[in-house]
Amino acid sequence: AKSFHGHRKPYRTTELVRMFYNESLSPAEVLKRWKGDTDEVQEEEGGDEDDDFFKKAPGEDKAAELEDRAIPVYNYDELEQKWTDEDNIEAIRRRFASSNLLGEKEN
Amino acid sequence: MSTGPSQPPLRFTGSKSLINRLVLSTLTGRPIRISQVRSTSISSTGFAPHEVSFLRLLDSITNGSSIDLDYTGTTLVYRPGLITGSAPGLGTAGGVLRHELEAGCTRGVSYFLLPLCLLAPFSKAPVNVIFTGAGCITSATPTGDISVDAVRTAILPLFAQFGVERNIELRILKRSCPGPGGKGGAGEVQLIFGHQVRLPKTLHLMNPGRVKKIRGVAYATGVAAANNARMIESARGVLNELCKDTFIASDVSPAPLLPSQDRSNPGAKRKLGIGFGILLVAETSTGCLYSADVGSPPEGGEPPESVGRQCAFQLLETVAAGGCVSKIAAPTMLMLMAMGDGDVGRLQMGRNVVGSEEIIGLGRDLREFGCSAWGLRDAGGGSEDIVVSIVGRGVGNVGRKIA
Repeated sequence: AKSFHGHRKPYRTTELVRMFYNESLSPAEVLKRWKGDTDEVQEEEGGDEDDDFFKKAPGEDKAAELEDRAIPVYNYDELEQKWTDEDNIEAIRRRFASSNLLGEKEN
Repeated sequence: MSTGPSQPPLRFTGSKSLINRLVLSTLTGRPIRISQVRSTSISSTGFAPHEVSFLRLLDSITNGSSIDLDYTGTTLVYRPGLITGSAPGLGTAGGVLRHELEAGCTRGVSYFLLPLCLLAPFSKAPVNVIFTGAGCITSATPTGDISVDAVRTAILPLFAQFGVERNIELRILKRSCPGPGGKGGAGEVQLIFGHQVRLPKTLHLMNPGRVKKIRGVAYATGVAAANNARMIESARGVLNELCKDTFIASDVSPAPLLPSQDRSNPGAKRKLGIGFGILLVAETSTGCLYSADVGSPPEGGEPPESVGRQCAFQLLETVAAGGCVSKIAAPTMLMLMAMGDGDVGRLQMGRNVVGSEEIIGLGRDLREFGCSAWGLRDAGGGSEDIVVSIVGRGVGNVGRKIA
C-alpha cells in the first residue's frame, strides 16, 4: 500500500479536496501528503523510540513557528539565486504587462 | 451579535490562528473557548502581551462581550457582543478611540489593524481608532508583520471589491521601526473606517491579469535619507527590466521621542524605533495586488541595498505564486467572502497559496463556525491555479438591518 501511495501524482486538486476537511490530519500533514513526500519520513520516525525519550519538550524550539506570521520566512540567498537566474526571469515575464507576448519575432 | 447563552462555546486549542478565531467568533456571534495556549512553554506560558492587547481592543470596540481568562492564563472563554465601533459613550473621546500598545510589544501594528479592518464593515457605528503608545511599530517587523503602508496600499483597496469603499482612511501620524530587540516603537497610526454595510457583495475574481505597475514606499525613521535612495535604487535594479512603470516614494521622518524615565533628568527624552524599510506593491491590469515588505533588522547589520533587493525578490516570488490574491491578503479576502450573502463567490488562488497551512487552517476554522465547506477545482485554461468557491453565510451586520 505504501508503494502505491508513492506513485500517486502530487499536487492534484482532487487529492487536496479529499484531505482538506479530514480532521485526523493536521494542515502540515495534509500538505506533506499532497506534495507527495510522505512515507519515507513516517517510517523513520516510527523506528527510534529511544530517541524520543531524550527529546526536548516541545514548545521551546517550536515557539517561534507557532506564532502567526503574515510574511512567511524567506531564505533570501535562495531567492536571490532563483531570481537572478535567466530562465526564471523569462518564466515570470509572462505575468508582466509590459512584456511582448509575441516577442520572438522582433528579436 | 450575541445569540444568548444557549449556544455552547466552540472549543479550540493552541495559540495558532488565535486572532482569526476571535474575529470569526465576533462576526458570527459564536462563543469560543481556547485552551492550552502555550501551556508547554516554560518561559512564556499563556497569552502573550500582544494577544491580551488585542483582547482589550476587541473589548473596547464591542458592547457586551465577556472575556474570561483562567488562573494560569492559558485558557480563554470569549463570548462576543455587538460590534459597536467607536460609538460615543463607550470609552471613546470625541468619536476617537485611543488604543495604547505596551512598550514590550514585538508585533507590528498591522497585527491589530488587519483584524480590526475585518470587523469594521460589520460595525454599528464608524470605527475610528488611534494606535499609539511605546509599543506601536509601523514598519515591517522580524516577527512577520506587514508594514502599515502595506495595509494602506495593498489590503484596504481590496475592500472596494466587496462594495466597501467610502470613508476609509489609514493615517500614519508617526512612523516607527522596531526598537532594540525588536520591542516597541512609539509610532502613531489612525484608522478611520466609515463605510458600514449590511452584507459584503459576492466576489468573483477569476482573472489575475498581468502586472502593469509597481508602486512602493521606502521609509527611514531617524536615519539618513540616503538609505531610502539606496533601497529604491537596488529594488529598481531588479524590477526595471520586468516593469518599466515602477515608482517608489521616499518618506523620511525623525525617530519618535519617548520620555526616558531617567530619575535624575525627568525632562529627558530618548529616541525609539530607528531604522528603515521598503514596501512594494504590484498592481495587475485587473486590479489584483501583490505586496512585499522588508524592514531593516533591529540589530542592524543589513545594508539598505540588500534590503531593497530582498524586497524586490520577495515581490517576484509573490507574483510567481500566482492567483488573484497574495498569501498576505488571502485570509482577509476569504473571510469577507464567507461573510457575504448566500451566493457562491469564486476566487482564483495560486496552488501554493491554497496549499498552505494558514489557509487550510482557516478553511477548517470557518467550517467549525458554521460556514459551508469550500469547493476547490482547477482553474484550467493553461493556468496552474485553483478556484475556491465559497458560499457566503449571510449573517451580515446585525446593527444594520437596512443599509
